[in-house]
Amino acid sequence: MGDDIKLRVSKIEKSFPGVKALDKIDFTVRKGTVHALCGENGAGKSTLMKIINGIYKPDAGEIFIDGQPVRIKDPIKARSLGIAMIAQELNYVPEMSVEENIFLGRLPVDKLGRVKWKEVREKTVKLLQEEHLPYKPTDKLKMLTTSDIQMLEIMKAISNDASIIVMDEPTSSITQKEVELLFKKIEILKAKGCAIIYISHKMDEVFRIADDITVFRDGTVVKSMQAKDTNIDEVIALMVGRRMENVYPKEEIEIGEPLLEVEGLKSGQLFEDVSFHVGKGEIVGFAGLVGAGRTEVMRTLFGLEHIDAGKVKVHGKELSIKRVSDSTKAGMVMLSEDRRRYGIIPMRSVRENASLSSLEKFFYGGFAHRKEEEKTVAKYFEKMSVKTPSQETPIQSLSGGNQQKVLLAKWMMRDPEVMILDEPTRGIDVGAKFEIYKLMTEVAQAGKAVVMVSSELPELIGMCDRIYVMNQGHIAGELKREEFSQEAIMVYATGTHSIIQE
Amino acid sequence: MKKYLAAFMALAMAATALTGCGGGETATDETSGDVYKVAYIARAQSDSFAAWLANEMVAAAEEYPDIELTVFDGQADDAKENSAIENAIANGFDAVIVQPNNGEAQRPYVEQVVAAGLVAITTNSRIADIEGASSVDADPYKQAQVNAELALEQVPENAKVVVLNGPSGNFHADERRVAWQEVFFDARPDVTIVGEDYANWNKDEAMALMEDWTIAHGDIDAVISMNDNMAAGALEVVKDNDMYDDLLVYGVDGTAEACLLIEEGRMTSTCLQSAIDLAALNLETVHKLLTGEETQIDTDIAEVLITQDNAAEYVEMYRERGQITD
Amino acid sequence: MKNSKASQLMTKYSIFFVLLVMIIISTLMNPNFLSGRNLTNIAVQLAVGTILAYGEMVLIVSGLLDLSSGAVLALAGVLSVSVYKTTGNLLLAIIVSLVVAIIFNMINAFFVANFAMPAFIVTLATQMAARGLALLYTSGQNILQIGSYAKLGQGKLGPIPIPVIFMIIATIVIAYIMNHTKLGRSFYAIGGNEEASIASGINVVKSKYLAFLINGVLVGIAGVLFMARVNAGLPNGAVGYEMEGLTAAIVGGTSFSGGVGTTSGTLIGSFIIGCLNNIMNLKGVDSYIQQVVKGCIIVAAVLYDTRFKNKKAPKVILQKKDENKEDTEKKEEAPAAKA
Repeated sequence: MGDDIKLRVSKIEKSFPGVKALDKIDFTVRKGTVHALCGENGAGKSTLMKIINGIYKPDAGEIFIDGQPVRIKDPIKARSLGIAMIAQELNYVPEMSVEENIFLGRLPVDKLGRVKWKEVREKTVKLLQEEHLPYKPTDKLKMLTTSDIQMLEIMKAISNDASIIVMDEPTSSITQKEVELLFKKIEILKAKGCAIIYISHKMDEVFRIADDITVFRDGTVVKSMQAKDTNIDEVIALMVGRRMENVYPKEEIEIGEPLLEVEGLKSGQLFEDVSFHVGKGEIVGFAGLVGAGRTEVMRTLFGLEHIDAGKVKVHGKELSIKRVSDSTKAGMVMLSEDRRRYGIIPMRSVRENASLSSLEKFFYGGFAHRKEEEKTVAKYFEKMSVKTPSQETPIQSLSGGNQQKVLLAKWMMRDPEVMILDEPTRGIDVGAKFEIYKLMTEVAQAGKAVVMVSSELPELIGMCDRIYVMNQGHIAGELKREEFSQEAIMVYATGTHSIIQE
Repeated sequence: MKKYLAAFMALAMAATALTGCGGGETATDETSGDVYKVAYIARAQSDSFAAWLANEMVAAAEEYPDIELTVFDGQADDAKENSAIENAIANGFDAVIVQPNNGEAQRPYVEQVVAAGLVAITTNSRIADIEGASSVDADPYKQAQVNAELALEQVPENAKVVVLNGPSGNFHADERRVAWQEVFFDARPDVTIVGEDYANWNKDEAMALMEDWTIAHGDIDAVISMNDNMAAGALEVVKDNDMYDDLLVYGVDGTAEACLLIEEGRMTSTCLQSAIDLAALNLETVHKLLTGEETQIDTDIAEVLITQDNAAEYVEMYRERGQITD
Repeated sequence: MKNSKASQLMTKYSIFFVLLVMIIISTLMNPNFLSGRNLTNIAVQLAVGTILAYGEMVLIVSGLLDLSSGAVLALAGVLSVSVYKTTGNLLLAIIVSLVVAIIFNMINAFFVANFAMPAFIVTLATQMAARGLALLYTSGQNILQIGSYAKLGQGKLGPIPIPVIFMIIATIVIAYIMNHTKLGRSFYAIGGNEEASIASGINVVKSKYLAFLINGVLVGIAGVLFMARVNAGLPNGAVGYEMEGLTAAIVGGTSFSGGVGTTSGTLIGSFIIGCLNNIMNLKGVDSYIQQVVKGCIIVAAVLYDTRFKNKKAPKVILQKKDENKEDTEKKEEAPAAKA
């Protein structure tokens, strides 16, 4: 058994001002296996990974690779030890080309220090062809979709001859097809003897590929076990410290007359002829592959893209939507899929972020009413169970799940009639997910309309009353609750439905 | 959006066309074969003396029907001034008059003018010792000297004085300061300089310095300034303060403001650097050189000391030019 | 725990402490420094620069900036002086300065907000244009004999010089806008994340126009005060004043990446630079050396500020945990005691 162990960490401790992030962590990763780390956001998984990758220095403890103690002082050292990391949050330079990105920090040079661009080009072309990515090596990253960039990051890491690969939420922004591709890659890497640390909130994925599972909670290891000896319910219970009764708190709500009606909506080349409706108390899902136009429809509806044709009605009244304030005044709100780009004002306080869309409530009579603002924010934070050191903490210091909850609080403050949620649970932990589902249910119970765009089919199936499936800028199909199945959705989403019918 | 942009571009282009395609002003319109084309490269239109000189150059050129003068703006930038000289060489001018932004930086370009076989003149301030080039200037040393000689008699014993300098490295600024040193300070060891700094010819910078100096040193007997702008700045600070009623203030340039201040008895003296005289002498010189009357000339305009005795005369001159009103 | 409270205080008011230390050192170096006359003197010298710094602060917070303020100040100022000379109407003269400065800032706003051009480029262009127009209009000559116009820059209301009164009013108004209006809040949001602000329903184009409008009013006032103080219309005056304003804002903790900056910080930043100039002049330090020292101080102030600010925001993730651990932490004040 001893020879099997690739990586061992022993009694690792790490504190940040005010928080003990890791407390005496022990765990081991075996060669040729996938070791999944589970835990809610803030449990310490990412901190540990950053220590292994040399980004943070541990306060105490030791790391062994192949039985030898190592000191990983920076990411360069980590790379030389064969450690590769695929980060959860994509950090990339939009103006950088595909080939520059792939070889970032390891450009091959000749004796004179000149970059061997020819070699770079050849290798990039080969890699792109192997992965069936339809890009040129000179394409700028800003031209790629998020999921393609994620794939690129994964390819980059594993083309690096690493023996320890850390994947932090690698599937959070890639399509199902690409997930399958990734899993095939992982199998190949396992066969080559690589040790893979896999962090994910998606339990089905974890149980598909993991050999071992370690559960973190509040900076400690709760339990390490072999995947075959446990099950999803146990892992979730260990993560949250209690047993979760029902993952999807779906309630039977009587659906009233249409609240939101969209007819023949079109915006540029993004999508056309999109018609749908959402009734009072109804939760409607939008499924489809990444790039099918779901996000674009929602953005257009919300006033962020130009409307070329079509009608939007709320409570039967037609709206003229030119900018976001037109739709918010009509009672619409939208949680964007890209939290960092369209959601948070990173350096400003959680209070300011939360009140940003309801400023008229706190600024009247010529002055700011700070006390009222704090009280209202506190009320919604409690309702959303936002965990933050104070209202003045910059939002960038919070975990992804808490940021998302602050943004939800911001929109709930407007008391919305129509709530559009675009990938509301992406990259957040099980506990926060459950709270968001509960909130959706509450909103629906109050007779409002909820629209949820998601790439996670189980949550769409679990939460929605109806699902529209989009494919290449069109609505390809509509499914009622009794027709729901992953297969039915995929048939529409991949455009094979029309072929089957013919 | 594009429509607006196109309209804007068109407007900008029309404006450029109306103002003469950025070339500068041309003094004479008729272009016959016997006309000499003279380029005047001004240091900067943003420098009030340089702007005045440029205007006077155009006016002086009117007197010479066989000279066509074009003014180019060096925009107080060596690179721009140098390329303006190169353009003048390339564009078939017969003579190039250069008012350097920074003497040494323009030297090789003036040498190029000479090498191209054209008449080259440096003016205000001259670049000395260029083989084959001529120069027309006011002598900055003498301009300061006439003031310093007056100060020798006027400044009381054991006086406390402050000195306002022009930008370091500027020929006129440095020469004027040297004259004050040699004529005045070396002869008056009893005088103490309590404050000395660069105010870069600027009124507002001189004001800030003077404000701080009056606080730091209290009584000050004389302000020795290398130009009138800075002298006026110093006076601005103390004008309502009885303590400084006897303050002696010396400048150079003979600006309209200085003439007024001298006439009112608030400023002591200045030396006129007359742009009118300088322009006239420049045109006279370039004409002599172009007609082959002479091949090399180095000449200076006479310096005129302005004190309360003769200030009215110069106030009248500025009144005629419209710079002073009643 | 006490230590951390003191350091929290230090962090929050870090820039204020810098000023305090500077005042103490200055007083030790020259007892005249703290005299009422010298303090008034510093305030008068700072007034124009501080007013411009507020404009820059508002713009930088909104993710913009203005390189044209010095030149627009000069153009607005000479036109104002010249209108006063021909009409003798002071109010009209002030209005002219305001209108000219506002027009230029609306031009800036038009290209920045409607065409998404970088503020750096647009305002660089208007800087050149404004300076050129000022020189063209005056033929490069100073406008003299401006009469009682100068009172606006040199006069006093009671014991307080008029420019200082304008500076105080500007401080109050800008602090009010930044803290007590929706507009102020949207400036912070836009500068922090423009796309998120749009998606939150903020009218970004309108806010950018208003940011430039505020700057225009400030530049217009500064134009009057500057020309009145120097008792002349100087078409080539106030060169580089935009940089003084930017410097004061940055030293005062305004973040160049947008979204962060305060009125009080800017005021203090302006005073830090003003005191530095003043004490060095009082001590007779050569102005070229002063420039070097100022450069060093700017880097030091900003470095100090960013170091503290970065530490200010630890990655605190769970509040509950924070509370639970507080007791144990008190006992374990010494870090790594267990190791």
